[in-house]
Amino acid sequence: MLEFRTQGYNPYAVKYSPYYDSRIAVASSANFGIVGNGRVFALGLTAQGIQVEKTFDTNDALYDLAWSEINENQLIVACGDGSLKLFDLGVDEFPVMNFHEHKRETFSVCWSPVTKDTFVSSSWDGTIKLWSPTRNHSIKTLPVGNCTYSTSFCPSNPALISAVSSDSHLRIFDLRTPSSAKYHLTTTIPVHAPPAQPGAINPALGPPSAPGEILTHDWNKYRDTVIATGGVDRVIRTFDIRNPAGGPLSVMQGHDYAVRRLAWSPHASDTLISASYDMTVRLWNDGSAQPQNPAMGPGLGAQIGIMNRHTEFVTGVDWCLFGMGGWVASVGWDERVLLWDANMMMGQRGP
Amino acid sequence: MSASTQRLQQLSGQLAGSESLSARDILLATRKPTDVVICLALRTPLAKAHKGAFKDTQLDGLLVPLLNAVRDKSKLDPQLVEEIVVGNVLHKDATFLTRASCVAAGYPASTAVSTVSRWCSSGLLAVESVANKIATGGIDIGIAVGAESMSTNPDNGAPEFPASFMADPVINDITQPMPWTAENMARDFNVTRELQDEFAAESFQKAEASQKAGWPDDEILPVTTRWKNPKTGEVETVQVSRDEGVRYGTTKESLSKIRSAFPQWPPATTTGGNASQLTDGAAAVLLMRRDVAEKLGQPILGRFVLSTVAGVDPRIMGIGPAVAIPKLLKKVGLSKDDIDVFEINEAFASMLVYCVEQLGLDRARVNPRGGAIAFGHPLGCTGARQIVTALSELKRTQQRIAVTSMCVGTAIA
Repeated sequence: MLEFRTQGYNPYAVKYSPYYDSRIAVASSANFGIVGNGRVFALGLTAQGIQVEKTFDTNDALYDLAWSEINENQLIVACGDGSLKLFDLGVDEFPVMNFHEHKRETFSVCWSPVTKDTFVSSSWDGTIKLWSPTRNHSIKTLPVGNCTYSTSFCPSNPALISAVSSDSHLRIFDLRTPSSAKYHLTTTIPVHAPPAQPGAINPALGPPSAPGEILTHDWNKYRDTVIATGGVDRVIRTFDIRNPAGGPLSVMQGHDYAVRRLAWSPHASDTLISASYDMTVRLWNDGSAQPQNPAMGPGLGAQIGIMNRHTEFVTGVDWCLFGMGGWVASVGWDERVLLWDANMMMGQRGP
Repeated sequence: MSASTQRLQQLSGQLAGSESLSARDILLATRKPTDVVICLALRTPLAKAHKGAFKDTQLDGLLVPLLNAVRDKSKLDPQLVEEIVVGNVLHKDATFLTRASCVAAGYPASTAVSTVSRWCSSGLLAVESVANKIATGGIDIGIAVGAESMSTNPDNGAPEFPASFMADPVINDITQPMPWTAENMARDFNVTRELQDEFAAESFQKAEASQKAGWPDDEILPVTTRWKNPKTGEVETVQVSRDEGVRYGTTKESLSKIRSAFPQWPPATTTGGNASQLTDGAAAVLLMRRDVAEKLGQPILGRFVLSTVAGVDPRIMGIGPAVAIPKLLKKVGLSKDDIDVFEINEAFASMLVYCVEQLGLDRARVNPRGGAIAFGHPLGCTGARQIVTALSELKRTQQRIAVTSMCVGTAIA
């Protein structure tokens, strides 16, 4: 396990570079993101351990970041003042572009992995904005109406944008639809709701759950209609966006506090990892490899590993895209970046 | 509020939400399209049997105005109502009469009609019956009614049973009059006359305060009917808009002067003042599935969560609520403290005292507008009436959860 300390800053997000297996970036904030500056760390993995390649300071807290998909030296950060800032590792100190339209904290940013020429952001102001890195003004604004904690592009279809928000819903926007009264909104999934058809209630899942804020979500990298969500109710659920009223495909319970971030494995279609305020990172198998009977309601995913080396809220987690698979970066409010091999905690599934 | 304070609140919200939600929170926050919801709840005034405004009104005279009003007030196309279930105990031709009354009130032949009886809780059974059919998908929209004209339908007690039946003490107990069971409870559980009068006076006082404040106005449908003036012998048209049984200024002391009604059964603590009154009245509840109600733009007054029944020893049938309420609460995972309003039928003060004390209920939350001791117990009506009253009270006090329960002749609750 490799470790790096973000002295004086509490990390909120970590991302592996899509270009280099030795480069990661961390978005962090002074004073737990409540008040004060933000700092981006661009870190390199060297024979001497983790070294700082570059840092950038901002005037307000940072909550998320995304690497550029078209320029290996650029990354964009989501800032507490509502701005998004594009930094270039070759340019000292100041951002090369500043995008400031959100009226409240920007909580999430995602670069289009397919067309690579746009990125999308979401904010406490209840909107999602689509941007080009070369234009100061947003291309499109998609209204959600309540604090939108996370937004993402579909990894295979550049027209699909997803978002989760404090109203307990997962929304899908399809930019190919006309921008009618619904602003491209095509699907709304109530995350807490049980399946619409009566009878499909699995008693193992306990009483129906109440609506709760959804803090994070991610698209499966192999099944392009499957999304996992996590949030305040501590439960991770997967959904098939083709069946919005069908309830969750599978449910993963185990975290003791809110799930702050989750990421599907880039190497296995049934594996995901989650970071929580309960100070743990957990590895899950969603059970999709086993045959499931939808009439029986959602399947139960299995926890296949737990990492409890963080000593504060874990806020960020990401998979390394390279190598044989399994390397994970996690960050937490303990001012630590930990790089580790998830295979080591997978028990019999490990090498 | 500064941005940093708001950020801190948001974070603490994310953490607080992580703690286990209480069963009450989950129940209140969960809204499913398949929920059974109540869109209208209405009742006639309750009038004293044999003396009051409905003394010359047959059962249909209560049913038709009530169902007419349900149709008008809900603005619901009667064609959409798939079933009307009427709870009634005493009318010997209730099945014919209710079907005819529904047609007379403008409901088409395609609206199925049935009657149910579970003695005093027939109105509850009607609501359960409609709600369960909606919950299982059998129907989308139904009306549950409880109605009783005690003036025009005498209660003749139990029929004659064969001697082999009567040899069984439990069956023998079933045939006994209800006041006998009330005296049994007073004796077995040491419920003094004084305590019974205290609870009864409280019922009158709550009902008086409620009536003077106009709280029941939104639950009561004023009814115009024909009434034979006993003095002149002439038939007059009268309008009734309030419960007749409430005697203002009733106190424990004034009740204590009333003679025992059943001196033959010791301890003879039951009187005309601390038992439920003989009364005429009817109540109706319009139920539908939530998605149907939303599609039709119907107001959603409340949600039917669950009902249950429990049998008890017939000789002390009044303990029913003390058994049925914990059973129900256990099934929905709530505790008594999660409940805002209890509507428990006041058949007799002895059973009310026992149940409230046995369950450890806060007396202020039990029958906050008084109960059957103050304004009467039209047998088949009361179950539905309690739901109507509870919904009105929840609305007035902006509260959320009510439980209704009653003890039943032959000992079911």
